[in-house]
Amino acid sequence: MSIEIQSIAKHFGAFTALDNVNLKVETGELLALLGPSGCGKTTLLRIIAGLETPDAGQIHFHGEDTTDRHVRERQVGFVFQHYALFRHMTVFENVAFGLRVRPKHTRPSDKEIKRRVHELLNLVQLDWLADRYPAQLSGGQRQRIALARALAVEPKVLLLDEPFGALDTKVRKELRRWLKRLHEEVNVTSVFVTHDQEEALEVADRVVVMNKGRIEQVGTPEQVYDTPATPFVYQFLGDVNLFHSRVHGSFTQVGEHPIPNDSAVAYVRPHDIEILREPNQQTLVAAVDHVRTIGSTVRLELRLENGDPVEAELSRDAFALNRYTSGERVYIRPRTARVFAEDFTI
Amino acid sequence: MAELTNPVPDAALRLPMQRVDHPSAPSRAGMMQFKQASVLPGFNLALGYTVVYLSLIVLLPLSALVLKTTSLSWSAFWQVVTADQVMAAYRLTFGASLLAAVINLFAGLLVAWVLVRYEFVGKRLIDALVDLPFALPTAVAGIALTTLYAPNGLIGEWLVPLGIQVAFKPLGIVVALTFIGLPFVVRTVQPVLQDLEAELEEAAACLGASRWQTFRKVIFPATVPALLTGFTLAFARAVGEYGSVIFIAGNIPFESEIVPLLIIGKLEQYDYAGATAIATVMLVISFGLIFLINLIQWWHTRRHGMRK
Amino acid sequence: MLLATATVQRSAATREPTWLRWLLIGGALAFLGFFLVLPLLSVFAEALRKGWALYWQALVEPDALSALRLTLLVTAVALPLNLVFGVAAAWAIAKFDFKGKSLLITLIDLPFSVSPVVAGLVYVLLFGAQGWFGPWLMAHDIKIIFAIPGIVLATVFITFPFIARELIPLMEAQGTEEEQAAMVLGASGWQMFWRVTLPNIKWGLLYGVILCNARAMGEFGAVSVVSGHIRGLTNTTPLHVEILYNEYNFVAAFACASILALLALLTLAAKTWVEWQAERQRALDARMAMDE
Repeated sequence: MSIEIQSIAKHFGAFTALDNVNLKVETGELLALLGPSGCGKTTLLRIIAGLETPDAGQIHFHGEDTTDRHVRERQVGFVFQHYALFRHMTVFENVAFGLRVRPKHTRPSDKEIKRRVHELLNLVQLDWLADRYPAQLSGGQRQRIALARALAVEPKVLLLDEPFGALDTKVRKELRRWLKRLHEEVNVTSVFVTHDQEEALEVADRVVVMNKGRIEQVGTPEQVYDTPATPFVYQFLGDVNLFHSRVHGSFTQVGEHPIPNDSAVAYVRPHDIEILREPNQQTLVAAVDHVRTIGSTVRLELRLENGDPVEAELSRDAFALNRYTSGERVYIRPRTARVFAEDFTI
Repeated sequence: MAELTNPVPDAALRLPMQRVDHPSAPSRAGMMQFKQASVLPGFNLALGYTVVYLSLIVLLPLSALVLKTTSLSWSAFWQVVTADQVMAAYRLTFGASLLAAVINLFAGLLVAWVLVRYEFVGKRLIDALVDLPFALPTAVAGIALTTLYAPNGLIGEWLVPLGIQVAFKPLGIVVALTFIGLPFVVRTVQPVLQDLEAELEEAAACLGASRWQTFRKVIFPATVPALLTGFTLAFARAVGEYGSVIFIAGNIPFESEIVPLLIIGKLEQYDYAGATAIATVMLVISFGLIFLINLIQWWHTRRHGMRK
Repeated sequence: MLLATATVQRSAATREPTWLRWLLIGGALAFLGFFLVLPLLSVFAEALRKGWALYWQALVEPDALSALRLTLLVTAVALPLNLVFGVAAAWAIAKFDFKGKSLLITLIDLPFSVSPVVAGLVYVLLFGAQGWFGPWLMAHDIKIIFAIPGIVLATVFITFPFIARELIPLMEAQGTEEEQAAMVLGASGWQMFWRVTLPNIKWGLLYGVILCNARAMGEFGAVSVVSGHIRGLTNTTPLHVEILYNEYNFVAAFACASILALLALLTLAAKTWVEWQAERQRALDARMAMDE
């Protein structure tokens, strides 16, 4: 089931949540909506689900206009950030809910419901919790039950709103991988919302980066990380150093690319900063301020002659070859950079 | 009346929660210690004063009641509290209280729902007015309702042609008790509806539930403990109510005489033993109802006490 | 910002059809209209039925005035007693952990569920002519029952839990950190109480006082048992209303009742005002916290 989003707009009072958004979600893919809070990603997800009505635009499910269809009839699975489990029902009853509320003629028999629910609980590996109440589960378990409940109605589309937002780091990492595997297993078209770039890059087939109600870029995790379309995407997906052509001159010219104009800004990731002990025509002079080892990488805080800070990142092996010390004078050069015009303000 | 902002749940909830919150906080003196160590002053003074005052104002008088009862032999006691006239009064009091509490159960849920979910002109005024039965002296309520529902009253005159007489009949008692118990259910259910996450209803809708199914299977079960608490509070209040009922009731023995009135009647005839015996029965019932409320809350917290 | 708007407005998916919405609102308003608004209005309508002159005459009649004076006197005594008790009980219960706490809370709640008539009766059994202390009191010529002290005692009993019940949950929620900080900074016990605890509970305290006050002025059942109904001496305003009503002096009865109804409306207004103040304070605190 593919989803087509056409010219969707949504306002809350004077606040523009979504501004002419167009997007196509391919059948069976796992898509991430990524952006800072307030960028409209959750609103877009809720509009796809039918929980919000757009002010303008259409939603098509597999070519069929569903814009005015009630959420009940859309057959979407929705997983809420805070799980929204029914606390007076057992885990079993929570998962069975979607089957039990069907009209009589399409409702499965009790035996069939039982079979289906246990099948789903097995899928999320929590069959042994069937008789517990939500209050007696951990956060990660609640999240998995919420997912099983959403899958019980055999949704054509699975929508997840910050599915791991309320969990602690370790559980979150486990659940990410688990979600990825689960998606490969059930292969239902899925969209999830997150503000965590690492999560989006690790889990999703494609990432949609959003800002201020607009889509900034759509692409595979590699595409958005390696070739960001806008300065916003560049900054949002990891740390970045900014160099202004006006200030840093030819430094902003990487390789053979000419500088587009005299007011360009080059975006360079810390691990793309090359550190040399000898100068050449493209290097800038910098002093090493601090050296910190963080896990498998070494982070160097440098300072240019005009006082601007620059951050560089090396692998431990690369650092072992040169062992820069703080106070030392070095020369830096970008291995690769993206150059945007200056007035492209963020 | 303090149920206004923190319906009894608070107090009742405290019972099980304390044990959860402080299972066995490390205490130097071990398990048998009476009070957990604290740097704050004034515990002995505050608790001492509380206990003395409580004993003087509440416990001593109530124990006087129980002791006075023991001056009757068991068979004499039994004879007093099961006399035909008393039995008729029990039936009337409990029957009318139950009916009024049931009316309030439904009406209270409706009012709470409307106040929480919908916007309309005058909503805040109506919301404030719900507490009127708590603030209006019962005697005033009694004479006002009687005047309205009397056969020549504003409402009564419309009901007489239909063959319904309210004032001076058992039905009048139900009307008065409904008025008295009105805020209880509203004020216990209102915060629960307010705090019910919209996400729960959205989840139900996503799973294909109709609005009615969502109400029946998701919203209503969440309000059940509050409904039960409000119901029990309204019932308990109604059973002991006197001021608003005596005006509208008619007070005819075997027909429209409530238990509190019976106690007063015995007192006026200087039958202290008889009055005390019946009062003791009422007191035991009050204890039973308090116990029931605590039980509802405890049961609910144990099973569904999900904390964020 | 976005989240806030999204949760305040209920989404289309969880809204009832308009006709049902209006039906429910109509039902609720009809119920409240018949059971609350009409009785309230009828009090004033009946009081003014024969015009303002008779109304005024009923109010300034000596027995009515003395009943009002007694009502105010009783309230003025009962309120401070329960105020001090409420603060002391809440301090011990909310700020300390000790065995038997839940039992104590249940006992404090007890007067809520005791019938007012039973509450009056217990004092008759203690202090009445045939009560425990009756002969001793008679010998020393002290009158409690059928006199003002009995009325005060019955009122204190009935309004006993009001302030404590407002304060206990409030003070429990506030915890003990601020008081501990005050102690660490060298405050004495009283300084801590006046400067830290009291400012924190002022709205809850006021709320409790308003409720306690309303009930104290309006109590009927318990007071009726111990008062003896002596006109001009032991009649409170609610009792006076009853007597006038039973004498078929409806205008006077409703005139006195209208004063009590006005007090009730005043109580509701004050209560609502306190709620708004407390709410505003909370909203203000929250906004300041966000700006940090």
